[in-house]
Amino acid sequence: MPVFEVHGKQYEVDEDGFLENPEIWNEDVARDFATTEGVEGLTDGHWKVINYLRSYYLQYGIAPMIRKLCKETGFKLNEIYDMFPSGPAKGACKLAGLPKPTGCV
Amino acid sequence: MPPARSYKAQKVIDRFQQKLNRQAMLSLAACVHCGLCTDQCHYVLANPGDPTYAPAYKADRLRKLFKAHVDWTGRLIPRWVGGRSVYSDEELEELKDVVFGKCTNCRRCSLNCPMGVDMASFNRLARGLLVHVGVMPEGVAVVAKDQWEIGNQMGVLKEDYLETLQWMEEELQSEYNDPSIRIPVDKRDAEIVYAINPREAKYDPRTIGEAAAIFHFAGENWTMASEGWDMTNFGLFNGDDELGAACAARVYDAVEGLRGRKLVVSECGHGYRSTRCEGPNWARRDLKFEMESSVVTMLRYIKEGRIAVDKTRNPLPATYHDSCNNARSCGMTEEPRELLRLVTTDFREMYPNRAENFCCTGGGGAMSMSEYAPRRLKSAKVKADQLRATGAKVVVTSCHNCVDGLFDLIRHYKLDMQVKLLVSLVANALTPPERRIKRRPLEGFRILVIDDEPDVRIYLSKLFEENGCAVTDAPDANQAMRAIRAQPPDLITLDLVLPKKTGEKLYWELKKDERFARIPIVVVSGYAAIDHPKIDFHKFIAEKALPPPEGFLEKPVDVEKLIETVHQSLLESRFSG
Repeated sequence: MPVFEVHGKQYEVDEDGFLENPEIWNEDVARDFATTEGVEGLTDGHWKVINYLRSYYLQYGIAPMIRKLCKETGFKLNEIYDMFPSGPAKGACKLAGLPKPTGCV
Repeated sequence: MPPARSYKAQKVIDRFQQKLNRQAMLSLAACVHCGLCTDQCHYVLANPGDPTYAPAYKADRLRKLFKAHVDWTGRLIPRWVGGRSVYSDEELEELKDVVFGKCTNCRRCSLNCPMGVDMASFNRLARGLLVHVGVMPEGVAVVAKDQWEIGNQMGVLKEDYLETLQWMEEELQSEYNDPSIRIPVDKRDAEIVYAINPREAKYDPRTIGEAAAIFHFAGENWTMASEGWDMTNFGLFNGDDELGAACAARVYDAVEGLRGRKLVVSECGHGYRSTRCEGPNWARRDLKFEMESSVVTMLRYIKEGRIAVDKTRNPLPATYHDSCNNARSCGMTEEPRELLRLVTTDFREMYPNRAENFCCTGGGGAMSMSEYAPRRLKSAKVKADQLRATGAKVVVTSCHNCVDGLFDLIRHYKLDMQVKLLVSLVANALTPPERRIKRRPLEGFRILVIDDEPDVRIYLSKLFEENGCAVTDAPDANQAMRAIRAQPPDLITLDLVLPKKTGEKLYWELKKDERFARIPIVVVSGYAAIDHPKIDFHKFIAEKALPPPEGFLEKPVDVEKLIETVHQSLLESRFSG
């Protein structure tokens, strides 16, 4: 099992760097994983997105459609891409501790 | 005495003998182990000391089965010719590691084999054998299940898909300040039915909006389907021809159900190959409609002058990455380059290119198999070197899978590059026509108003004249027919309730007459005369198997909506006629 080491901490991750056990997520995880996704400093906007993804995932077990994410957080599509340069699937989901989305991504 | 064979191993052998066709048989028999394939493979180039990555070695994992069970030499003297059967589930797992984890089915070795051995096609065959007994990477299983059960590879529900389209429509209307921009859904008899990759709907619908803007400004009569809109096909990746047939048939059914004239596939290498090239065989369908990549559609629009582009809007140095499925397997190599030169100022070729290009390393479904990600990224070194040598800041491709594969390797090898699809560059370079919509949007068109009520005729005529067009009118079907024969108008507004011959009858006569069938008709009718004219009329056109009218408005008419509907119908008919 690959291990992601950061700030003296170790996380078990899958081969794409997504958290292996989504249940151990806390806010520190988001801060620690931000370093790998080109996110510098988590703003209130980032937290809004991360918390929404997190709560949706806990409720439904999958990542939401980008439509839902934008509608619920009030951000425009391009704002999401500005905040998370690797995009909602690979960037934002990783910070929120979701498993890697399935399919061609 | 051979060891006992597991249940799954026996099933694999049985299936292998059923699925062998002449192409696979020739490929399995023809290899002379000359080694020319070796340095064609990106896995070999990144792992020079490891012979297990060599295409001929990987091919031999299946070839030994062929020798043991099919080839006569192998059946007589298996040890001399390297024949060996499979016996245990562990051996199947080892085979899985090779056929899913050490090959992206990119076909670069196939192209460079002097004996014509198509390694990738029997690698796909081997994947299919394993999938048949449930041996496959988890990611592949999940995606295949979603395609079987939900009908698209990301499990997107219909209402979410439709809401996303509507959302993109609203975004476009506000971006271009043009309320006439539409993303039509389930429109019948459209010139183009546009099918996409679910990745666009689920995570990045910007490309849906970009394509819609291009269709709109080209004045295209297009639609998207509410079902059968996913043109991707995991059957190509997991070797399951039944899944391949099911996915392809869904898309074909959608186009036929809507009576679309052409299926346009958004930029996706494997989707294009599956839908256009492999699907008709898998699904055993004889298709009456044409199929085209959106790359070809966009290029056509520019060449025909239907859209205007300003290439200086894309000034960054750009190179083009050929998707294996598009270039090597379907021969689409020149159209994307021609298009790219029209929409960017600094295009730089990457070497090698076209059919000789190296895989993005995310092909063959590799993006959905996390367990092999480190191998994939290691093998991407050759691609990274290729990209770096161009000095480009943007790598353009026409495949969603390549977008993700390239994105990952760019980050891994710390290249300073963006990845873009052609549709994004075309949309960015798009120069919308002058804002003719605002003032006299109907300038230069001729409209025939058919209504039995004089005040309605006067009202509509005046309204259209104010918007710039020439108007004639007719109080009944016979006079209307005379006017149409004398000089066919560009558009007709039709009241269904007419004295003597009804509007329905006239509609039927016009639509079945070749000379007049293409004249757009906007029905303007009221509830007052008949209880439910719209329902009756729709039943009528369904019974007569007629195309629906270009617009249907109820009296009293909403002026803005009427002008917009008329305007849109005129634009669409101008290009589809």
